[in-house]
Parts: sequence; C-alpha cells; structure tokens
Amino acid sequence: MRIVASYSIKGGVGKTTAAANVAWLAAESGHRVLLWDLDPQGGATYLFRVRPKVKGGGEALVSGKRDLHDAVKASDFDNLDLLPSDFSYRNLDLLLDAEKKPTRRLGRLLDGMADEYDVVVLDCAPSVSLVSEGIVRAADLVLAPLVPAPLSVRTLDQLRSFIDAAKGPAPDLLAFLSMVDRRRRLHRDLTEQLPKENDDVAATAIPMASVVEQMGVRRSPVVAWARTSPASVAYRSLWDEARLHAKV
Amino acid sequence: MHEQDSSQSGRSCRPNFSLTHSRRAVVHRSGIYLRSSIVHVAFRGPGVAAEFVVDETVGPSCVDVLTDALPVRVDSHHIERRVWFDTHDWRLFRAGLQLEQHLRKRESWLVLSNLDGRRISRQPIGRTAVTPDDLPDGATRELIGVRALLPRVVATGPVQVLSVLGPEEKTVARIVLEGPTTVRDGTPVGMRARVESLRGYDKHAARVCRTLDAIPGFGPAKEPLFESVLRAAGLHPRSFRSKPDLEFTPRIPATQAFAGTLTQLREIVRGNVDGTLRQLDTEFLHDLRVTVRRTRAVLKFAHGTIAEDIRTKYAVELKWLADQTSLSRDLDVYLLGFDDLVSHVNASGELEPFREQLTRHCKRAHAALNRALRSERFAALLDGWQNELAVAGPAERPVIEVADDLLSRAWKRVAKRGDAITDDSPAEAVHDLRKRCKELRYLLEFFGSLYGADARSEAVSELKLLQDILGEFQDAEAQRLSVHENAVELANAGTPAATLIAIGRLEHHLQLRQDAARAEVADRWHRFNRKHNQRLFARMVTSR
Repeated sequence: MRIVASYSIKGGVGKTTAAANVAWLAAESGHRVLLWDLDPQGGATYLFRVRPKVKGGGEALVSGKRDLHDAVKASDFDNLDLLPSDFSYRNLDLLLDAEKKPTRRLGRLLDGMADEYDVVVLDCAPSVSLVSEGIVRAADLVLAPLVPAPLSVRTLDQLRSFIDAAKGPAPDLLAFLSMVDRRRRLHRDLTEQLPKENDDVAATAIPMASVVEQMGVRRSPVVAWARTSPASVAYRSLWDEARLHAKV
Repeated sequence: MHEQDSSQSGRSCRPNFSLTHSRRAVVHRSGIYLRSSIVHVAFRGPGVAAEFVVDETVGPSCVDVLTDALPVRVDSHHIERRVWFDTHDWRLFRAGLQLEQHLRKRESWLVLSNLDGRRISRQPIGRTAVTPDDLPDGATRELIGVRALLPRVVATGPVQVLSVLGPEEKTVARIVLEGPTTVRDGTPVGMRARVESLRGYDKHAARVCRTLDAIPGFGPAKEPLFESVLRAAGLHPRSFRSKPDLEFTPRIPATQAFAGTLTQLREIVRGNVDGTLRQLDTEFLHDLRVTVRRTRAVLKFAHGTIAEDIRTKYAVELKWLADQTSLSRDLDVYLLGFDDLVSHVNASGELEPFREQLTRHCKRAHAALNRALRSERFAALLDGWQNELAVAGPAERPVIEVADDLLSRAWKRVAKRGDAITDDSPAEAVHDLRKRCKELRYLLEFFGSLYGADARSEAVSELKLLQDILGEFQDAEAQRLSVHENAVELANAGTPAATLIAIGRLEHHLQLRQDAARAEVADRWHRFNRKHNQRLFARMVTSR
C-alpha cells in the first residue's frame, strides 16, 4: 500500500481538488483506493456527496475505539472509497497528542488498511502541526500544490525543511504549480522556471479553469466528467508523475 | 458473512436483508484469505445483496418498473461480452473465485469476484485473451501456478446499470440488469437484476432488495448468474477430477470395481489430450502421464481379475504410450525448474546455450509426442480401452478380498526392499523401493474407500514422506545424467568453454543434491517402518 498526502502549509491552493482527481485516476487504473479527508472543512467529503460524519468522531478513530474499516464509505466510483471528514478533526492535534508516539499514530492506523487498499490518498488540512507531522511520517509521497507567486519558492523551502525535520524516513516530495493562469506572465515564467530549477517540482502545472471550480457544483472530480478538458489532461499528467515518485 | 464460501450448489440467492461487514482471521498480504482449500477474499468493491430473476413479462419494461418503485438513475446501457477464464482444473472456481473479462464497445475490464459476484478487483485490460501475467502478484496468481488461463465460457447480452440515489443524490446501491444472455454453445439465460450493496450503505441495499422482492415478476434467483451460465453451457466444474474419484462397497465384484476405475482413467486421459497437443500448459501432459501410470498400475493389480490376454495387450499399449510421454515431460520439468537450478550455480548467462538446446529438444520431443497422440495406434488404444478393457467380466471375487490381498502383498514388498536398503545400496535398489512405494500409494488411492478414512489418510501421508526423499534422489540422478548427455552434445557442437564449465558446476550441484537425498533415505525408511506404521497397515486390512 502506498500513501500519497496532498498537503500544503497554505490553504486554498488546490489540495482537495488534487486529492480528489488523483484518487479517481488511481482508482480508474485499477488500484483499490481510499481517500481520507482529514480536513475538518470536509471539502473532499462534500465533493463525493458523503455525509461528513464519523461515528464517535476523530477521537474514536485515533484512540482505536472505532475501527477505521467501519468508517469507510463507498464513493460513486469503482475502486474508490472514502473515509469521511468529521468536524471533530479540528481537534485532531489534541487527540493525537493524547496518544503514545503521536506522530506515528496515523501511520499505524493506516497499516490496518493495507490488506484492502493499494493506494491511500490523504487530503490534509493546511497547517503545520502534530497532524501534519504524522501525515508526513506516514506518507510515501507528499504532493504539494504551489500557487505561482513570488513567495512560492519560499513556501517550497519551508515545506522541504518541514519534511526534513520530521521524524522517521522522509517521504518523497513532489510539488506542482496549481491554479496557473497562462495569461499572466509571472505564472508562465514560474511554470517554466520552477520545474527546471527544482527536481522536486513536477513538470505538470494545473491550470486555473472554470471546470475545476465546477467540481463543487457537479460534486464529482473533473477527470470523471470532463475527461478531455485541459485541467483533466493536466491532472492525468500529474498523476503519471506522482505514481512514479510514489512507486504505485 | 462474506468470508463464507458460497459455492454450494442449489443455494438460494434470496435476500436475507441483514447485511453486515465482518473481517478476517487470516489475511494474505494480497488481501485474499487462505483457509483450507477455499480462498476467501476481503470485502473490496460492491457486494451482492441479492440476485433476482426477472420475469419475461416484466423484462422489456423493467427500467420503467424500477423507476416507478425507486429513486434510480440509469448510469449506463451497453452490450457486453463476458468471458470467464479459469484453468483446465478449475482452480479459481474451486477456490471460490471467478475471473471475467468484460468487453464493451470501447472498453475492456478484468474483474475478479467471489462466486456470488462480490467484487474483489476491477482493472482495465486489453481486448486480447487474458493470461496470468495480467493479474497482479499475489495469492490468485500463486493459485493459478503454471496452469494456463483458458476461456471457459462466453456470454453476451445487454447490461444496464442503475444507481439508486440517496440523500444529496449520492449513489447508495446499484441495480445491474443483465440479459437476456446468450451463452456460446449453450442455452440462453433469462434476465437478472443484481442488487449491489455499497460499503457503508448496506441498509439502503437491504431496502432495495425488499422493494424488488415485492414487485410482481421479480423472484429470487436460485443461484448466481455465473452458475446459471455454466449450467447453460453444460459445464460442471464441481465434477472435475484430475484423478479417479472411487467409492466402492466391499462386496461389489472386483471386475466391476476395475471396470469403473478404468473408465474414469480413460476419461481423464481423454480430457488432457487436446491441451497436451496444443501445449496450453505443461500440466496437461503431466496429468496425462500420471494417469497412464496409474492405469498401468491398475492393470498390474488386475492380475486374476481381467482376462490375461487383454491385460497383456493393454499393458504393452500403455507402456508404449508412457514411453511417448517420457522425454517431453522430462524436458518440460527441466525447463520449468531451469532458473531455479541455475540460481544454485550462479551462471545464468553462461548456461543460455544449454537452455536453448533444451528448448530445441523439448520442441522436437513434443512434436514426436503429438504424432503419437494423433496416430491410429493411440486412437485404437482409446477405443479398445472403452470397449474391451473397461468392461466388467463375469463376477468372481468381491473387491475387498482382492484389495486386502494386494495391499498385504504390496506392504510386504515395500518392507522387504526397505529393510534391505543400507547406506551402501546401489541406486537401482533405491529406485526399486521407490517403484514399490508408488504401487502401495496407488493401491491406497484406488481402494481407500474400503478402509477407514483416517487410517487411509494417515497411511498416505506417512508414505508420502518416504516417497518425497526417494523422488528427490531419483530426480537428481535423472537430471544429472541428462546434464551429462547434453554437455557431450554441446561440446561436440563447439560450445564455448565457459558454458561447459558452468554445466560442470551444475552437474556437481546435482550430485550434491543426490548425495544429500541418498544420505537421508535410510533414516526416512526407519521412520516409515516404525511399529506404529506397521500396526497401521496391519489394522487397515484386518480391522473392518
């Protein structure tokens, strides 16, 4: 089982859309995929039309009172299941902190899913916290969206430092430019430069597109209903890069 | 619930409306449970809540009926060709699995499910025939082993997938309408409605089942679609046998028992001829060869039961057939184990000319075997086997008397040869002991039903331990001699010295293997010949 975490320190950069599309693409290629929505806002859960509720909340899951398997919900798509968000995830830091070896807890919980899933995609809340440390520790690949802005390089550096500082074996990092508006010169320049200058930045950039925004209206990954749109093509290409890094 | 084998015939698919998820005890890393001979599979994709047979009167308006009864949306509607793959000996079916290729206009999927349709995996695949390499590594591939995947049954028909919608239009269950289905070389199968439960939404699926059950024209299916398709095609995987399945009562005439045994053996030979000719996989020839060997043993045991002239005639013919298969099978075994053998001498590159020579020899041997299997002599043997050999003669002794005699004598023969084995006995003596052990094993197989099941199975497993070491010794010797012969041939053909040196290392390795086995023979014999086993065999014959 390989674990891909869609993670960024910043919010609103396209983590959830990346997680949803990548999970769908992995499932489409025949892998058994679990998407765990760890964000208390429940964006991915909403996209897949699942009720954002886990019986017993995050506490029951983290403490082991409730088995992760029992909280899983099927999505509308073959091979793709969802572990829904719950509003109690806002306290996940505190819940983890109450456990022994808190940064290893998420990984341990996911170990129990290895017989059922080939790929787990984690949709993470934006933060630098104990949860993020646990996610980085559990993941084989951190997929990190970057918005094309002068501060992107700094964000990338912070992310690298955060991953390097995390305990245990460091996961692979694959950053990618997200919400790229090719009409803007700065976006075009960064899209060209960053992958050239950084091995851990994907060659693929995800365009700013109305179809991506419509995901929230259609409540389905764009790759499922606008297969030939530039955004879908870009997500496909991103998944091709990501699965090589994650050895899926 | 889902770990239970559902392969019992006649099982009703009537919904019980109480769906639960439970989880496993022993889990293989691929997610497939291995317990006894059944492969149990972790819950993966949609489970089957129930299957319904749809009456012809409802058939054409089925979607309208369902739309009126439930909040459904038609997701897809297409003509689908389904090809079920399995090995010749139904390894997947016997493990509680079905492997289907779903071919639609622009897509093709490979679907692995439980026999009741509970899906384990679904992956895109090309439109060509499926091979084991198309499956991910894991228990299913291990289960298939060296056997080829063969298209066992093909069915074509319309498939409509309906999503049952819950709150916020989330799909909470699916109804798959299949059929009417045309089965190649079989009779049609009527329309079915399969209710699939989705993980976390079991109650919804149960509700859908209740609704369908109440609709006139929908009746519970007595068996899953796959089983209906198999029956429509006249296939009966449960009755497949790779060796005779014999049940005798003690007082039936021995002539009748032998005739029944020979009839079954002939059918097994016939069932393996086509696969051997086409070289679909190496097991066809193996099973054919083993069955011929068993038949020869039966003929030997039939001394005094089958007329002597007939027995002699077919002993000659069966020896001829066995001889035809020897070289091909030896070379098959050689090539199958070649990589493993080579790994012991660390010389894969240097031994390629050797592998190429073996491959050439193997092709020639199979061509010669094919000529034999297409010959009039073989056709006459099969005809005579049915019309002359497997015919019960006048009843004389009951089978139990014959079996007792044969078992006593076979045990004594084994004991005599085994007692004479010392560390210095020649290879021929070990080989002779091996042949006597084989005879005893065949007798236990043929007449096992006459003796207590526990005693029989204990006797066979004790004997097997001894046979394993004798076989290891014999195989190593045969391979070593063959290596030597091949080395001479390669040397004459001007093969590079590096190859010949590597072959020398291989021969040495085989000699070490043979020596190791030889050193163990006496110990294994003493273990086998202990008082406990002597009493076991004595009891088998006297305790009825």
